[in-house]
Amino acid sequence: MTYDITVIGSGPGGYVAAIRCAQLGFKTALVEKYSTLGGTCLNVGCIPSKALLDSTEHFHNAETTFKEHGVNITGLKADLAQMIKRKGEVVSQTTQGIDFLMKKNKIDVLHGLGSFVDKNTIKISGEKEQTITTDKVIIATGSKPSSLPFIQLDKKRVITSTEALELKEIPKHLIVIGGGVIGLELGSVYARLGSKVSVVEYMDSLIPTMDATLGRELKKSLSKLGFEYYLKHKVVEVKGAAKKVTIKAESPKGETVELEGDYCLVSVGRKPYTDGLGLDKVGITTDKAGRIEVNSQLQTNVPNIYAIGDVIKGAMLAHKAEEEGVFVAETIAGQKPHIHYNLIPGVVYTWPEVASVGYTEQQLKEQGKAYKTGSFPYRALGRARASMDIDGQVKVLADKTTDEILGVHIIGARAADMIASAVTAMEFRASAEDVSRMSHAHPTYMEAVKEACLAATEDRAIHM
Amino acid sequence: MSLDIKIPQVGESITEVTIASWLKKEGDFVQLDEVLCELESDKATFELNAEAAGVLRIKAQEGETIEIGAVVCSIEEGKGSAVAAPVVEKIDKSSQSQATSATISTGQKLEMRVPEVGESITEVTLSSWIKKEGDFVTLDEVIAEIDSDKATFELPAEGVGILHPAANEGDTLKIGDLICTIEISEGVPAKAQTPQASSVVASSNQSYATGHASPAASKILSEKGINTSAISGTGVDGRITKEDADKAQKEASKPQPLSTSKSEAPIVLPAGERNETRKKMSSLRKTVSRRLVAVKNDTAMLTTFNEVNMKPIMDLRNKYKEQFKEKHEIGLGFMSFFTKACTVALLEWPAVNGQIDGDEMVYHDFCDISIAVSAPKGLVVPVIRNAEKLSFAGIESEVRRLALKARDNKLTIPEMTGGTFTITNGGVFGSMMSTPIINSPQSAILGMHNIVERAVVENGEIVIRPMMYLALSYDHRIIDGRESVSFLVRVKELLEDPTRLLLEV
Repeated sequence: MTYDITVIGSGPGGYVAAIRCAQLGFKTALVEKYSTLGGTCLNVGCIPSKALLDSTEHFHNAETTFKEHGVNITGLKADLAQMIKRKGEVVSQTTQGIDFLMKKNKIDVLHGLGSFVDKNTIKISGEKEQTITTDKVIIATGSKPSSLPFIQLDKKRVITSTEALELKEIPKHLIVIGGGVIGLELGSVYARLGSKVSVVEYMDSLIPTMDATLGRELKKSLSKLGFEYYLKHKVVEVKGAAKKVTIKAESPKGETVELEGDYCLVSVGRKPYTDGLGLDKVGITTDKAGRIEVNSQLQTNVPNIYAIGDVIKGAMLAHKAEEEGVFVAETIAGQKPHIHYNLIPGVVYTWPEVASVGYTEQQLKEQGKAYKTGSFPYRALGRARASMDIDGQVKVLADKTTDEILGVHIIGARAADMIASAVTAMEFRASAEDVSRMSHAHPTYMEAVKEACLAATEDRAIHM
Repeated sequence: MSLDIKIPQVGESITEVTIASWLKKEGDFVQLDEVLCELESDKATFELNAEAAGVLRIKAQEGETIEIGAVVCSIEEGKGSAVAAPVVEKIDKSSQSQATSATISTGQKLEMRVPEVGESITEVTLSSWIKKEGDFVTLDEVIAEIDSDKATFELPAEGVGILHPAANEGDTLKIGDLICTIEISEGVPAKAQTPQASSVVASSNQSYATGHASPAASKILSEKGINTSAISGTGVDGRITKEDADKAQKEASKPQPLSTSKSEAPIVLPAGERNETRKKMSSLRKTVSRRLVAVKNDTAMLTTFNEVNMKPIMDLRNKYKEQFKEKHEIGLGFMSFFTKACTVALLEWPAVNGQIDGDEMVYHDFCDISIAVSAPKGLVVPVIRNAEKLSFAGIESEVRRLALKARDNKLTIPEMTGGTFTITNGGVFGSMMSTPIINSPQSAILGMHNIVERAVVENGEIVIRPMMYLALSYDHRIIDGRESVSFLVRVKELLEDPTRLLLEV
């Protein structure tokens, strides 16, 4: 078969790219190694983790806040097996949705490991082997959990996020290596079910790439869930046994701390995945981190081959990959789309949620930019008090002279959904005063954004 | 010197706070405005900032509850570190809010001054008065137009009453200069002078976001190759909306009404009429000028020349003119010969047909020949697609179709974009010799000139021949001298012996 465009990898970057290609009239093939479409995000990432996060949050609320709400339950019990079963159903419904979208857009789905024979020929090794020719190729092979060189991942006691979504029992003590998004989300799942969770992080804060306020606030909130932290601790040894796991870490003072638990989740990040792709056959180069090198058009050094998502530089986020998928499809069609990377939001689905877009306060300081800050706490919101979700705040950073919004950092209930309005405002380069002059429905959490903008404008929040 | 830091007022009804955590330790060196500790009240969490740079001395520990105004720490100021004036901001604000409001009484005069119109703009030119001395103006009515070096904006009246201009058209004024006074009329309230920040918004639509294109608009403009600075946005504060971007080029291809300046100061001279007329540059003219200069600056352009004996083509044309017209219903002109000869030569010398895109060179296996046509409002360059595949009649009818559309201003954007090589004919206006400018992003352009009978030497004899000079301007970055010269020689050969076009030799 001959195709205009072949997309390798069916994650949110790949399948979105394929759909946009098809919409633009290209004859498109989508190559996927696994039997289900959707990649990490749909199968072992965003979607299943959110399913478990929601289930456990319900349980946690039933346990902690229902009584206060006047809802009395006896015999409350967490059924992990059912939670995992429901998660499985959510995943299979979602991946089947992608199957439908591929059919609808007349995209040929080819199951098997795709690898380059030459720059226009792809071999697909699945149940049967087939070879296709293609004018253009979009590599969207994503990433895999990474580890540390001395850690032996036995996938039973020393596990990655993939296994953490399929545990058969609630850990008594879950040790999480890495205080980033994945570790804190999955740590939350089990902490809510009663696990003791210890987070060992090499840096001096949680979610260290986000604005420092968010890390600090999140640390406080998760402390209430029983999280224990070992910040600035360097893990030096991880030993998995049949029923337990022990880890050793060096404290900032150089002392060795030993932790014993029944599971250890290694969540130190993810690495680009290009195994078996045959990049050497076409001479595509990767950088030291294993990422495929691309130019501003997301084109590799082989002009008819593009790459998007986790396999190239930038934040490893599903929605970043989606934007890039659309970008490449349109670029191939001769259009001139744009991506504002600084305006791609980052979200952590803990509770309270954390969401952020634009520059952090630290970045503005480094740039020497004159900025002003406006913050507003959730606990001053009627909506938050009504639902007992009073942890959190919105912080708005704006240019000191022009009042243009430069960053919005939210921790609190529904932050993940609220951040979209900040992206909209910033895409149009709104000022803090602009947003504060737009009507926000009452009572909503979004009022905190308006109030923070008022605070940033002239320190004139109404409800503070 | 040691500066005590006290718990500030954090809100009404809050009398005490708890120290949640110290972010800095005893003895740390802290910078001005750095967060020292976090305070919790029953309503919210606050950050306490350093009011000076220096060494921190903590006086209240984590978990302690203390009253507003109590000392939490002190800062031993380091040498040369600036002391922050505490609560300067609050003082500013209160002074700002003392908005001077113009009163209602008769005889009251409201002075209007040149408002701030944007960063880095320090002076403006009063381009025209829309209202005259003695006119009655109402609030927010536009009374004058003002030009800055960045944009033109309108000046609205800040009150209701009789206008008395204080500056003349053409005057250059500094920001804050008196521009006019308004004699407030009885019983009608004047617009209160708003604080400066909002008066900027009210009196002009210039801001940092002026000219910022929305996400959809910026994609459209990129695709059209239009710079955001070339169009004025109709969105809030001059933002460029999707509709602005959609319209951008359509407007450029419409003739712009020519407005003469209203500020024609009479020039006193002894005799004779000496009028100067100023016309605004049309968008097309602006685009053309910007692109031409860009080509001059961004390419390594030079021109090579040759001459061609037109007799063979003229003979051929004379011989078959009638038959050609009868069969194809179109006249046989020179353009078809030149276009055809160029396509043959272009395919042989692909660099001449190529272009530079960033760090890459793009070659084409087709010849899309742009033809420079003089249209009523200026030069336009429609494209003959796949000219290499067209017959003579095909080329002639395309040339005619495009020329007619150009004449009627009906060319579409797609019809004018994407050529790979350009032919321009200055000969129709009588040009003997010229050095045409490349039609960017193409790499070469052929200039045709007038046909003049010249004495030339053929086989050792002086004979009279209809001769034309040819000029090829090219971008030396992508085309070498050998290629450009060979290309032009090849064109000459094909034109001097058109049978070659038939035989492809």
